[in-house]
Amino acid sequence: MKPNRRFIGAALASASLLGAAATLSPASAASTVVVGATETISSHNPHGDSISMGYGIWCEVYGCLGTYSFTKGAYVGMLAESWSVDKADPNIWTFKLRQGLKRHVDGKELTSEDVVHSITRMGTDPQTRQKQNVKHVKSVKAIDKYTVEVVTKQPTAPLLEFLFDRVMITGKDLFDKHGPKVADRQYPLGWGPYKLKEIVIGQRIVLEKDPASTFAKPENPDTLIFRIMREPEQRVTALLNNEIQIAQFIPPHLGPRIKSATNANLVPTSSVELMFLAMSPKKKPFDNATARKAACMAINRDAIIKAILGGQAERLDAPIGEGQYAYNPADAAKMKVPYDPAAAKALLEKAGLVGAEIELETPVGRYVNDKQITESMIPMLNAVGFKAKLKTPEWPTLWANVQKGNVPFFYMGRGGVVDPSPAFAQYFETGGSPRIGFSSAKVDALLQKERATFDPEERKKVINQAFAQIVEEQPACFMWKHKLLYGISKGVAYTPNPTGKVWGSEIAVK
Amino acid sequence: MTNSALPTPDAQNVTTIDDAQSVMPDLPRRARILKTLRPWLKPKIVLGGTVVFMLVFIGIFAPVIAPYDPNGQNLINALRAPGWFSEPHFLGTDHVGRDILSRIIYGARISLVIAATVVVISGVIGIGLGAISGFFAGRTDFLIQKLVEVVWAFPPLLLAIAIMAFFGQSLLILIVALVVQRWIPYCRVAGGQALSLRTRDFVDAARSLGASNTRIITRHVLPNLIQAAMVIGTFAMATAIIAEASLSFLGLGVPPAIPTWGSMLADGRTYISTSWWLALFPGLCIFFTVLGINMLGDGMRDLFDPRLKRPGQGMG
Amino acid sequence: MLSYIVRRILGTIPVILLISLLVFMLVQAAPGDPADLLLSDEATKEDIDDARKRWGLDQPIHVQYGKFLIAALQGDLGTSFRYTDPVVTMIVDRLPATIELAVVSILIALIVGVPLGVWAGARPNSWIDNVGSFVGFFGISMPNFWFGIMLILVVSGYFNLLPSAGRSTYGVGGPPITGFFILDNIIHGDWNAVRDGISYIILPAVALGTNMMGILMRVTRSSVLEVMHEDFVRTARAKGVRDTVVLWRHVVRNALIPIITVVGLELGTLLSGSIIVETVFSWPGSGSLLISAITSRDYPLITGTVLTYTLAFVIINFIIDILYGTIDPRIRFDK
Repeated sequence: MKPNRRFIGAALASASLLGAAATLSPASAASTVVVGATETISSHNPHGDSISMGYGIWCEVYGCLGTYSFTKGAYVGMLAESWSVDKADPNIWTFKLRQGLKRHVDGKELTSEDVVHSITRMGTDPQTRQKQNVKHVKSVKAIDKYTVEVVTKQPTAPLLEFLFDRVMITGKDLFDKHGPKVADRQYPLGWGPYKLKEIVIGQRIVLEKDPASTFAKPENPDTLIFRIMREPEQRVTALLNNEIQIAQFIPPHLGPRIKSATNANLVPTSSVELMFLAMSPKKKPFDNATARKAACMAINRDAIIKAILGGQAERLDAPIGEGQYAYNPADAAKMKVPYDPAAAKALLEKAGLVGAEIELETPVGRYVNDKQITESMIPMLNAVGFKAKLKTPEWPTLWANVQKGNVPFFYMGRGGVVDPSPAFAQYFETGGSPRIGFSSAKVDALLQKERATFDPEERKKVINQAFAQIVEEQPACFMWKHKLLYGISKGVAYTPNPTGKVWGSEIAVK
Repeated sequence: MTNSALPTPDAQNVTTIDDAQSVMPDLPRRARILKTLRPWLKPKIVLGGTVVFMLVFIGIFAPVIAPYDPNGQNLINALRAPGWFSEPHFLGTDHVGRDILSRIIYGARISLVIAATVVVISGVIGIGLGAISGFFAGRTDFLIQKLVEVVWAFPPLLLAIAIMAFFGQSLLILIVALVVQRWIPYCRVAGGQALSLRTRDFVDAARSLGASNTRIITRHVLPNLIQAAMVIGTFAMATAIIAEASLSFLGLGVPPAIPTWGSMLADGRTYISTSWWLALFPGLCIFFTVLGINMLGDGMRDLFDPRLKRPGQGMG
Repeated sequence: MLSYIVRRILGTIPVILLISLLVFMLVQAAPGDPADLLLSDEATKEDIDDARKRWGLDQPIHVQYGKFLIAALQGDLGTSFRYTDPVVTMIVDRLPATIELAVVSILIALIVGVPLGVWAGARPNSWIDNVGSFVGFFGISMPNFWFGIMLILVVSGYFNLLPSAGRSTYGVGGPPITGFFILDNIIHGDWNAVRDGISYIILPAVALGTNMMGILMRVTRSSVLEVMHEDFVRTARAKGVRDTVVLWRHVVRNALIPIITVVGLELGTLLSGSIIVETVFSWPGSGSLLISAITSRDYPLITGTVLTYTLAFVIINFIIDILYGTIDPRIRFDK
């Protein structure tokens, strides 16, 4: 598209049918920032979704105990001021709440009763999709007005990964008085910096800043609107037209359009979703560790990142990458799997597995360029001696089969990995999910150990030992973490959060 | 069926097969052949027929014509713009470096096979059921009509989407999904013809001479259906091609190893604003193929049904 | 006439019942567990079983169908698994957008196709006929989703004349009255919003309506050709009535039946075509709702939407049959 064409076109457009579109005035009287988002929350019930966008919004409206700060590389308290683990019994966690926090509209103060209520509701609400967040919690009790005691079933060092960022604190009084339906819809009052103004499910969410909140700053936008725009072209066009100020998740091939735009910047950020190829050791030929090794060495990750992802991904040498808890470049370098098709071929020949048939299954459109990526992997696998085919089943069918452990070889992502403990327990510990069907006593021991190690430095070491063992036994080839591409209007200063949530309190309008 | 008020055909005015046949006996053999051929030489039929012929030709000789392996990837060469005659890839490459022209050529093959299979199967089922229902009337007819109503009531693509989404991706299931509603037009026409014929005198006469039902159906009912079937069949091929493309577009078509125009379109849609050639060419192919088939079918219908095309009296 | 209507209604009831059963079973037969899909990645087996119980999925299928049928007869199509809203509410929410799109598409098809067909039929084999016929062929041969993509590429992308996604500019237009954006804003008198709505609906309606336009053009043309030679036309012309009057009054009236037939027959195609066009243009109608419901195996939503489409289709065909009866008295007494 030539620039002068677009200019003429734009002039014509404004003179003809478009009329006065509602554009937003920059930071004058009241500032508004519109975000073009891809996900939608499906309910007024804050426990009714389990997606990062939902957690982000509810934490900003109701408030969460705390959040993980990527800039600091540590957990930071929000509604909780401090926390500690009992030295004698590491199952006992004590959270001290900030005092004097006043709620939206009615100004009620935050007390430990609300926290107890919320944690309980998260596990018992009939519509909850967040039960897994409180699965380690044996009991929760209010010690005094500002102190909450959480007792876990077993020593759980990564407890904050479950309780921070995910547990939003709703008011017990409103729940008791009005019941969940009315309370959620008509009294969504919380202790966060933004008030919920409107949800139109599937279309938009409108938040309004509470200037009195401790967490809100003057430069934050007064109104924050999330507009659901599933098509990436739509988001890019809207950004370039100033209809939105932040466009989430721009696919790599559209990046150059934003780079060349005069009113917006392309801001890449690290993500917390691990992309991997899973190989089930229960099914042939992947019951033979050599086959797994060969498969991982056959994939030219750098070429894929360059050609199909436009360079917008970070190769995973260790199972986790930059920005995730316990990541250590030195350890990662030691774990790196080389791209070596010759060696892979030799391995297969030695094991007598040349011509082994494998079927790679992938979802389509669920992850960035998933189909394109897996399409490019087939010739790579064939080049080292496998007979590889690609299958692109519809997501529900694929997921159903993966959950049952019936898919021997698949491409998938695991999101929300800040502290890697829950994800790795789920996939690689015996008794976790049946998806891969991997079981190793050594790995089990290390994962259990890291969960019980409360000293941060010690724990990081154990985590890396577990990683090394997993990479050694290789039930999965760790591919990369996508770089999340955001298009951000030049009138807005915002560093995107790797989890994909967007907080108004992190946005500054210039 | 001819209206006596209409002009009678003469040697210069042969426009339909009926006309041709009525003029026949007076002419020598060679001229007779030409006269039979003449009605078929209308622009619609010629153009449409050429397109169909080219489609079949390309489909059959794909391995010889295609310059590259349709599944041959080359990541370094991904998303190259069309080179036309100056550079290696005439129509460019796709996101994993595969040659688009070769994929289009092989895609013709698949589209053709799928469309032809669907048309033949649905034709057989439809004509079979229709002939039976029309001929036997009574309860058989009633049941079959009810079946038709139920299946017909589903908005067309919806049923196919449901089947594909629920029962998985494979060539077989795709064909089932496409046949499931397509047999109905054949059934309707066949039923109508069979019904009308059933009451005609010659059927009673044949029966009284001892001809069995099967013989009556095959000898008298079916041949009259062939013409109607040919017309329906051509149009059905066109819609089958579009339907396959639609299903592939929604991600519900054949598995990815098989290049089809519809899945190429689906792939290309992502890159529409940056690499337009991925979506443009497969779409053009679908369009021109369907256009050609429709013209052919239309021309054939003009030939077979004398009522529809009369030399123009127009407005003056 | 009345007995005909009653007979027809009674005849469609078993069909609709059968369809509801078919859809219900089809949906449940599909692989994929809604509980598994909608709960989080980390949900345990107990959570999943809990959800299944809550949604009644643990009961035998004939029990489920029975409950569904009883509720449906009272106007309750169940509650969406994913959105926890009643299905009827969700459909009523999104259906106007689809209807609006369908109506505008049909209007475009009629406004372009019928006059073109009449002109072409009135002057067969002339250049008008050739151009018109080509347009007709173009219409019936064009895959609607590809046409939509090309329209977006050229009109929206290259020339930047019209928007390519959505139904209206955010913030424009008053509160909904009927649910039809353009109509509502005409009622409000907000002409800005009306223009805005029109700019958004043009491209998808053109993409969707082109097929029907092509068919209408050809059907109109051939019925005009047919009628041109009927006796009464000749009589009228012999009497000296002006050609245009003859044309428009007699010929078009007789072409009405095939035109109505086509609209009725093609409505099903239009409805299913709208599913794809809605996806291409991000049009917030019930078609795109259905697609996402299928992907999440939201059984009540899928069943409810499919039933709605089918019911609409059956009802429209029914109305068209009645219209037949009014226009052509021969038909009523035929059965």
